[in-house]
Amino acid sequence: MDAVEIQSVTKTFGDLTAVDDLTLTVPEGSVYGFIGPNGSGKTTTMRMIVNIFYPDRGTIRVFGTESHGTSSAHIGYLPEERGLYRKMKVRELLEFYGELRGGRKVTAEVDGWLRKFDLFQWGDQKLETLSKGMSQKIQFIAAVVPSPKLLILDEPFSGLDPVSADLLRDAILELRHRGATIILSTHDMHVAESMCDRIFMIFRGKKVLDGTLESIQGQYGSDTIRVSSNGDAAALNGLPGVERVRDLGQVQELRMAQGCDPQEVLRALVGRARVSSFSIAKPSLHEIFVRIAGPAAEEVAVA
Amino acid sequence: MRKILLIAKRDYLAVVRTKAFLIGLVALPIVFGGGSVGSALVQNRAGAKSRQVAILDPTGAAAAAIVQAAKDKTEEDRLSKTAGLQASPQFDFETVAPDHAGLDEQRLALSDRLRSGNLAAVLELDPDTLHPRTNPPPPVRYYTNSGGIDTAQGWLADAVNEGLRRARLTELGVAESHFKELLTNTPLQSTSLVARDPRTGAIGAPRKRGQAESFAVPFITVMLLAMIVLIGASPMLSAVAEDKLQRVYEMLLATATPFELMAGKVLAAIGQSLTSSVFYIIGGLLVLEGMALIGMAPLWVLPWFFIYLVAEVTMLCAMGVALGATCGSPQDAQHLALPLLFPVVIPLFLIGPILQQPNGPLATALSLFPLFTPIVMMLRQTLPGSVPAWQPWVGLAGVLIVTPIITWGAARIFRVAILLQGQRPNAAQLLRMAVRG
Repeated sequence: MDAVEIQSVTKTFGDLTAVDDLTLTVPEGSVYGFIGPNGSGKTTTMRMIVNIFYPDRGTIRVFGTESHGTSSAHIGYLPEERGLYRKMKVRELLEFYGELRGGRKVTAEVDGWLRKFDLFQWGDQKLETLSKGMSQKIQFIAAVVPSPKLLILDEPFSGLDPVSADLLRDAILELRHRGATIILSTHDMHVAESMCDRIFMIFRGKKVLDGTLESIQGQYGSDTIRVSSNGDAAALNGLPGVERVRDLGQVQELRMAQGCDPQEVLRALVGRARVSSFSIAKPSLHEIFVRIAGPAAEEVAVA
Repeated sequence: MRKILLIAKRDYLAVVRTKAFLIGLVALPIVFGGGSVGSALVQNRAGAKSRQVAILDPTGAAAAAIVQAAKDKTEEDRLSKTAGLQASPQFDFETVAPDHAGLDEQRLALSDRLRSGNLAAVLELDPDTLHPRTNPPPPVRYYTNSGGIDTAQGWLADAVNEGLRRARLTELGVAESHFKELLTNTPLQSTSLVARDPRTGAIGAPRKRGQAESFAVPFITVMLLAMIVLIGASPMLSAVAEDKLQRVYEMLLATATPFELMAGKVLAAIGQSLTSSVFYIIGGLLVLEGMALIGMAPLWVLPWFFIYLVAEVTMLCAMGVALGATCGSPQDAQHLALPLLFPVVIPLFLIGPILQQPNGPLATALSLFPLFTPIVMMLRQTLPGSVPAWQPWVGLAGVLIVTPIITWGAARIFRVAILLQGQRPNAAQLLRMAVRG
């Protein structure tokens, strides 16, 4: 069974169409990445899945059920805008959220998660005494206690230090191994590439990408060359058949025009600088994102 | 319902476990009660202090009679059992013969003494005061430099008139021993209506109705109701606005529906109000019991009190939740706080006319307007003189119809507005949200 089936959904706010005729299926047990520029419709889509917003048109089914005006005990939701009752004590707050969603006492699960995140000793402290990073972890626990069948995480890693981010990543993957379906939105393309089974990109309310990383990259072919050389990025400008040079510091990424021969590029490059590595690759997700939503795409769209 | 109760429990405990709630609960009666006692003590002390009064008497005969009447009145007040804490003013008098050639100078000198505090008051009699030739008679001029409520004026007016009557009687040759009989005042005793005992069939005896029964009991009951409603409902708007700014609601809305969330909040506020009211009512009854005045307590009105309390808190809290959800900043919440409390504040402003004519058209209309019903009908029901039996029930029916409608519309506004950031909907948009959701 699919965890989420979104069928021809449109959502407008006044004159703005936030989500436009979206159809999407999230298979059960998968990690599905939502990417897209700010304001493209990711959060609105997530809010519609958890029934905070209702679609103007179309249907959304969660585990085969279309629910309107009710909340589901099976969905855990971590919103992008973090906020909890700051005057409450950590354990009280987590038990409140857990009982509210699950309809039962969740004391043991709360303690387990607090230990996992090394926050057990903070259980009797008020939330307002915690650091921002700690509060974010608490909010994550509030979203996953009791264990949800579908976990929706809007920018779960934003603002976290690398250690906390790793902890959170492990926790998400553990939930996935236990059978949960994960939907997460992120601006970190590396996270999307490394964690997600499938990736969905929304741009100006419309679906522009949907599939596995491989299939998405396959749509663009092997049109990218990664080069390391002793010359700087300026030395690579004007290479035959190269449309765009992206300087990543130690490595430069070249995008080839259609019909460009990489051997010609290599020959021209060797004449300009000493090449230490040269590889032909599919475009990264970051590159694809920029091609769709970057300034160049904007210009094309305007033209 | 489980979620509503859980949200209500959290919100209820979040408030009643705070020191502010407990301090407020205890401090309010202390402030009100302490204020009344303090005011009485200050008044008593002020009244007990002897003050100097000058009488400018061109008649040559009236001043002495006035001074004697004032002395007798002081003694009567002291002996009066009804005087209670309020001692009568203590005055020392001096009689000043008018200087007809320099009357203006004399008035100025006396005024200067008033300004310096050397005198408390000056009474300037007219030459025709004893035998007025005009109707109305020439007034006695009363000079004083005291501001605010001057209780001495009324007291001195009684003494002056008593003294003038005595002087006239003396001129007519009436013996002083007859003065008391001739001049005694007969009071009107306010009395409750007589009723037949429904169990025994016997007609009850007329019962003295004090000021407390005709004014204090209704006033205190309604003020208590209004106060508890305000305590329970007024923080709702700012609390919701604050939680909205803290981004608390998005996660909750994924778990509970807007209606469940709002109903939980309203239920918590009702719980707080009932907690406060039980505390105050039991405390009040214990005080009355201790003062042997328990018979004054309008116990029959308690069921209505609680019904009105729950209805008013529900309506105001639902509106508070909806308006709080529309706020984009704490300033917005401050601007909306007063309009939200109109259903309580407007009846309190109109309490004077309602007390004068509890069954008049204004009082009746206000009490049947559902937003005002709890306060106004409560006031009318506690006042002596019965409200037509059908009116409280019609008022209650209106409240029972309007309260769910307000709650329903408020929930729809709450759902749409709670996640709106950076914009405050206008009245038309609010109406659209309430209707369309």
